[in-house]
Amino acid sequence: MTTESAYSGDDPRRLLSGSRDLIRRVRMAQRATWFPLLVFATVTFGAIPASGIGRGHLGTCMPNPPAGRVCTVYSYLGFSYWPVAFVLAYVAIAVFYIRRSRARGVGTRVRPYAIAGIILALAMTGAVLWSLYHPGAAQALPMVSGLLPLTPGVRYSFAIGLALIVLAWAERNRALLLLIAGYLAVVLQPISFGAANGHGRWAFAPQLVIDGSVLLLGGIGFLLAQRPWRRAA
Amino acid sequence: MSGHPVNGMDDVVHQRVRLGILTIAHEARQVEFSYLRDTLELTAGNLSQHLGVLESAGLITIDKGYAGKRARTWITLTKAGGAALADEIARLKLLINTLEHSGTPPG
Repeated sequence: MTTESAYSGDDPRRLLSGSRDLIRRVRMAQRATWFPLLVFATVTFGAIPASGIGRGHLGTCMPNPPAGRVCTVYSYLGFSYWPVAFVLAYVAIAVFYIRRSRARGVGTRVRPYAIAGIILALAMTGAVLWSLYHPGAAQALPMVSGLLPLTPGVRYSFAIGLALIVLAWAERNRALLLLIAGYLAVVLQPISFGAANGHGRWAFAPQLVIDGSVLLLGGIGFLLAQRPWRRAA
Repeated sequence: MSGHPVNGMDDVVHQRVRLGILTIAHEARQVEFSYLRDTLELTAGNLSQHLGVLESAGLITIDKGYAGKRARTWITLTKAGGAALADEIARLKLLINTLEHSGTPPG
């Protein structure tokens, strides 16, 4: 260890490149991108049993002339799973980042991400609640026997992606931004593999498996790239 | 910023180690003493001297506390510190630009 060995020379180019190198090292020490990705992969996979197992309740019905009427169907478990899981997930992520920040000695940028995530979760919950009482607004969705299945999974997956954009901005993480672009493309182009023609109790499951898999693979990729078991230089 | 970019450069900031401290504190929001010491490869005494200069100039604040039984010292950039850092970086870029256009090799 020397007194000023790390920064010798007054060359302005060296001063600037030294500053850029320090910024890069701080960002590397701050990033823990893998953790929120793995947490939300778990939340997404957990939504499959939570949404499919719960008993369906008939919600609001509205007249829909050629088909008779259109109604909302929901389960208490499926309805409450997402907001509760979101809040717990963001609390866990914030605690993880803060503990890691203390251990490494650099501040964390998790606050805007956690705040954006919780606001989006509340907004999506409001949207789901609204659609429960306005089944006619969702007539573009496919119908079976005059019943409209609620698909909050797609909305919450979208909310996960939007909040991750905030994380990518906070962490100045271009690789994460690329992953989010792919993730949102998958979320916004729902795939059902023709499961019961996109209807039925488990019709939402393939989409959630795909969404969760993208997050899981991304999380594993970042875990290997960021190697948290090796202390950042 | 007028005249040659070296005019008006702040001697407190225009110093390699102190520029490094401000850069790290800006990017990290808050940084611990040991992280600065290890990253900048300084002795504790030397780092303390530089931190003292920056604190006296009002560019950083130093908070001491404990994490369990371990004493921790956290450094935070002040608003004036952020402005001084931005000014220094702008002057360095301008200086490089001036040197490149005048054909004089820098350093």
